[in-house]
Amino acid sequence: MGDGRWSRAEWLQQYDLLGKIGEGTYGLVFLARTKSPPSKSIAIKKFKQSKDGDGVSPTAIREIMLLREITHENVVKLVNVHINHADMSLYLAFDYAEHDLYEIIRHHRDKLNHSINQYTVKSLLWQLLNGLSYLHSNWMIHRDLKPSNILVMGEGEEHGVIKIADFGLARIYQAPLKPLSDNGVVVTIWYRAPELLLGAKHYTSAVDMWAVGCIFAELLTLKPLFQGAEVKATSNPFQLDQLDKIFKVLGHPTLEKWPSLASLPHWQQDLQHIQGHKYDNTGLYNVVHLSPKSPAYDLLSKMLEYDPRKRITAAQALEHEYFKIEPLPGRNALVPCQLGEKIVNYPTRPVDSSTDLEGTNNLQHSLTVTAVSGNMPGAHGHGRWNELWGYLEATRCSTGPSAATVEKERANGDARISCTAEVKTIIRFSAGRETSGR
Amino acid sequence: MAANFWTSSHYKHLLEQEDVDMVNTLDKEKGITLEDFKLIKMHMANYILKLAQQVKVRQRVVATAVTYMRRVYTRKSMAEYDPRLVAPTCLYLASKAEESTVQARLLAFYIKKLYADDKYRYEIKDILEMEMKILEALNYYLVVYHPYRSLSPLLQDAGLNDLNMTQLTWGLVNDTYKMDLILVHPPHLIALACIYIASVLRDKDTTAWFEELRVDMNVVKNISMEILDFYESNRMFTEERINVALQKLTLRP
Repeated sequence: MGDGRWSRAEWLQQYDLLGKIGEGTYGLVFLARTKSPPSKSIAIKKFKQSKDGDGVSPTAIREIMLLREITHENVVKLVNVHINHADMSLYLAFDYAEHDLYEIIRHHRDKLNHSINQYTVKSLLWQLLNGLSYLHSNWMIHRDLKPSNILVMGEGEEHGVIKIADFGLARIYQAPLKPLSDNGVVVTIWYRAPELLLGAKHYTSAVDMWAVGCIFAELLTLKPLFQGAEVKATSNPFQLDQLDKIFKVLGHPTLEKWPSLASLPHWQQDLQHIQGHKYDNTGLYNVVHLSPKSPAYDLLSKMLEYDPRKRITAAQALEHEYFKIEPLPGRNALVPCQLGEKIVNYPTRPVDSSTDLEGTNNLQHSLTVTAVSGNMPGAHGHGRWNELWGYLEATRCSTGPSAATVEKERANGDARISCTAEVKTIIRFSAGRETSGR
Repeated sequence: MAANFWTSSHYKHLLEQEDVDMVNTLDKEKGITLEDFKLIKMHMANYILKLAQQVKVRQRVVATAVTYMRRVYTRKSMAEYDPRLVAPTCLYLASKAEESTVQARLLAFYIKKLYADDKYRYEIKDILEMEMKILEALNYYLVVYHPYRSLSPLLQDAGLNDLNMTQLTWGLVNDTYKMDLILVHPPHLIALACIYIASVLRDKDTTAWFEELRVDMNVVKNISMEILDFYESNRMFTEERINVALQKLTLRP
């Protein structure tokens, strides 16, 4: 593979590289187009070689591992994996999505100054739940759903279709890694479920549903629902302010409504006196400007149920009345079927064409660079990787003897070996069936 | 993904025994027979287990690593992908995939400790380079399902979940990784074969229970026979034979 310059890499010849579109702890994201017709846009995520000399980053391994197994219209599609042996870097190529919920919400809030139409909100929510329901039925928990991770396809055959993205491993990133404050991107705790904030060790798919609830509210109001100030510390500190923000809107959780609350570490220890604090229940419906009797409010409040066991599931949510009344959700969330609704033209993603695959800035005094990296939460950006390790927890064998005991077992195993002939005879004639042993 | 093995890449890529038993042309030229091929893979499975015990990772990581190694040799030659490097690298990759990352540095250290032989001597850099080649060889399919998962629910269902039976079947499942079974059969059938052997050995009557399961008993029995065949021939797998087989790899054709 030549002298290791990316420009010589064979796999790269199939793409026209257009520029950088995002950046995070894992590396960089680039926009490219395939050369062979039909030409399509591709987002290429480059993983840096880990600094400690430990090969391919476990985050990349986990993301590849999961994405290789899943196919769903509402989940981002991994189209290729490339390896550059010379500099040992790894590239993941995805179908490119022009928009994401972060940018769509921002455009409405800062540029248009009006809310997102009902059809679009409902269609986005339905598709998000549809993708999530698929992931959950496959024992995957995303764990870090937030607007910037939810992509929306731009013009073309899949226009207005949602793609859930960023299947990495936040767990790894809870270990001290370089903070993202450098480029103005702040890792957010705003979508984190209360059980996690209170120190629950076990994740369930309900944490994703909480995040969907927060995103639903944000689509309605254009403002993050619970904007807590994050406590920065190396390993998962107690986020009092975030809980405070939640309690202010939803009221104080009670053991009556949420029995397992008593077993959560931060509730138990209660060093910050969260139990005694009295909150005036602002009322969620006031915050989101919905009638308490509307189906939309009913669904939202079921997503924001404190007790994870009572929280609505993605599959249940898809069956909710809200999706059965007009306007009905559609495949192209951005373009309403009904006439009379105004079609919003969302801005395209800024592309920094001055940065090459090495992440080297070619233009010494480029203004574009500042413009892009300054406020680029990005499709794959926002720095922190999100994860999907839940299913592994679910499938991990936690019982059974350790390797050491197993070795002992093997030592006694001679007994098994010495009577194989006898066992074979029994097997051959058992249940009266002939088998052809090798 | 626990819910649907049947839609997994693991299931879709299960192989026929004939495909698994194909000795690569390059290896054939070096005089590697099918017997040698199996012997080397078994030896490498043992090597992975020994290394794993040193670096202290779970049995599941070992099982995934062995599966990776066996998958690699359905596509690549041992002549080009030295098993003595592939084995530890598979453990390295599996430790990441199974979320219990082991440092390459540590592996390199224990490799030296386990084998004084120069032919086993590989450094961190070699492992890191091989890691990428293995990722490619595996075509980036990394999820592996193992018989362990279904073992305890099955034993429980059969009413055989006492310590003795659990340990015996668990040990049997471990031993199945010394064969290519995981490349050919769905893991729950391997688990059932192990339960079947154990119940015959311990004289437990499971006939009724097996009959109620909607599985092809002929397949379960065939797997059982293969495992028993392995135990029989296991006595003939001497260190010397393994060394002779490995030596062929280093010879010029």
